[in-house]
Amino acid sequence: MNVESVSLADFRSYPEARFTFTPGLTAVLGSNGRGKTNLLEAVGFMAGIGSLRGVPDEALVRSGTDAAVVRGEIAADDGRQFLVEIEIARTGRNRVLLNRQRVSRLRELAGALTVTVFSPDDLQLVKGSPAHRRRWLDEALVACHPARESVRADLDRILRQRNTALRQARGRISPDIAVTLDVWDAKLAAAGDQLRCLRRELLSGLVPRLAAAYAVVAGAATEISADYASSWGPEPLAEALAAARSDDVRRGVTTVGPHRDDVSFEIDGLAARTHASQGEQRSLALALRLAADGEVRARRSVKPVLLLDDVFSELDPGRAGALALALPDGQKILTSATGVPPGCSADQVLLLDGPARSPERP
Amino acid sequence: MSYSVTVQTLIDQLGRLPGIGPKSAQRVALHLLKVPADDANRLARAITEAKEKVSVCPRCFNLSEDGAECAVCSDPRRDGTLICVVEEPSDIVAVERTQEFRGRYHVLQGAFSPIDGVGVDRLRVVELCDRIVAEGVEEVIIATNPNLEGEATATLVARYLAPHDVRITRIASGLPVGGDLEYADELTLGRALEGRRAVDAG
Repeated sequence: MNVESVSLADFRSYPEARFTFTPGLTAVLGSNGRGKTNLLEAVGFMAGIGSLRGVPDEALVRSGTDAAVVRGEIAADDGRQFLVEIEIARTGRNRVLLNRQRVSRLRELAGALTVTVFSPDDLQLVKGSPAHRRRWLDEALVACHPARESVRADLDRILRQRNTALRQARGRISPDIAVTLDVWDAKLAAAGDQLRCLRRELLSGLVPRLAAAYAVVAGAATEISADYASSWGPEPLAEALAAARSDDVRRGVTTVGPHRDDVSFEIDGLAARTHASQGEQRSLALALRLAADGEVRARRSVKPVLLLDDVFSELDPGRAGALALALPDGQKILTSATGVPPGCSADQVLLLDGPARSPERP
Repeated sequence: MSYSVTVQTLIDQLGRLPGIGPKSAQRVALHLLKVPADDANRLARAITEAKEKVSVCPRCFNLSEDGAECAVCSDPRRDGTLICVVEEPSDIVAVERTQEFRGRYHVLQGAFSPIDGVGVDRLRVVELCDRIVAEGVEEVIIATNPNLEGEATATLVARYLAPHDVRITRIASGLPVGGDLEYADELTLGRALEGRRAVDAG
């Protein structure tokens, strides 16, 4: 799939702008504060993944205006054309149109455009908290199978309901609280067992891709293993929730479930989070993105658009060159403040110049 | 310049209504000030009268008048062995439009959602159980919304009814009639497949 054009109005630093893209590699160049990442963020939004930087939607609306508009044309691999139009309101719900038909959730855009994002923050996938790794896995799950989004979204909502009920209990299990927990436990157990099963299945498919991608980026064949570290045992989640109930009521939070799970990676038998060098961790982070991208290509036979946000500047020349070679075919849009990275040949260069725009204030 | 206290109070009161933001509240308030006094008074009277006369049906918690039972509960032609459980009175209007249902209703007055402060104690489930015994109900159709909270509400109702000798059913969810399979979202289509049924050869 290719992004053919992106038009922006009052999005981030852009009052109004239009960009067209080639199906190959586009290098978006310019010094800091010129809106390079903002442009990638708009493309990410068209793919229904929200802000690349994880900020709330209202931060995407240009200061002093009420709504931002992102409009993009996408050519699918099978020749279909999609027109995506999103109005991001500072307050209230976003309006999302796909081929001029209203869709209820941003995530439904994943069927029209799928992206794989590489960002400088990806190191957190290896070094950071478990939440980063769960997010990586869940994003891959949705990219491979867009309908899976509802499982993840339901789980979030059920957890909020259950945690609210736990707080309302104030440490005491009254008959009303018991029946409330019975109902929400049943919902959480069904959604949680399903999500853990989907994540495990996906992860086992990702491991061989991970090892292959790591070997290319790091330039050496290395044994990579990934273990899904669940917060509960082999029993169904319903049993684990029942066992944890008095503890959960006392602490006012749900202590077991997929929201407490983690993935632990090992490089040559040593824990990547604690024992790997900075360089190894960077290679692993890149490999995680490449592996997920490969899985999407295999499962859906689509080519996600690669968005590379200032990734090469963080890498030593060896890894940068290896990454340039390892990037799968299809459309790629990269940003750089220092020119086209070595090893990459750009089919198109977008030079963002003009006065530096002040960053959005919250 | 800001509005006088009287005008601002009107705007503030309107702004507290659901679905009316500060801008709409201002527009409605200024409109009310512009129209003839009779028109505005008719609205005021309608609100006062509705608040005075409209009550909740003591049996099914639908809207009724003057503390009496609602039109459905007081209709002797209704089948008392069948109860359709809904979240809100507006759902009764929707089911009634089908003209397919001849039983009675029970309004829970909300959906089970701790986030919104709607716990077990706020829903009329205990009253429902009392009706099963008192009215000799044989089947309860749970017609809560097909979303997460509606499904949780259905589970809750089913748990309360389990000890009673009554058939518990849930309305089906699936494709809209006259719709197109091609344009159905995966979730709805998935549910429709789950709830498939045998076809008569005629």
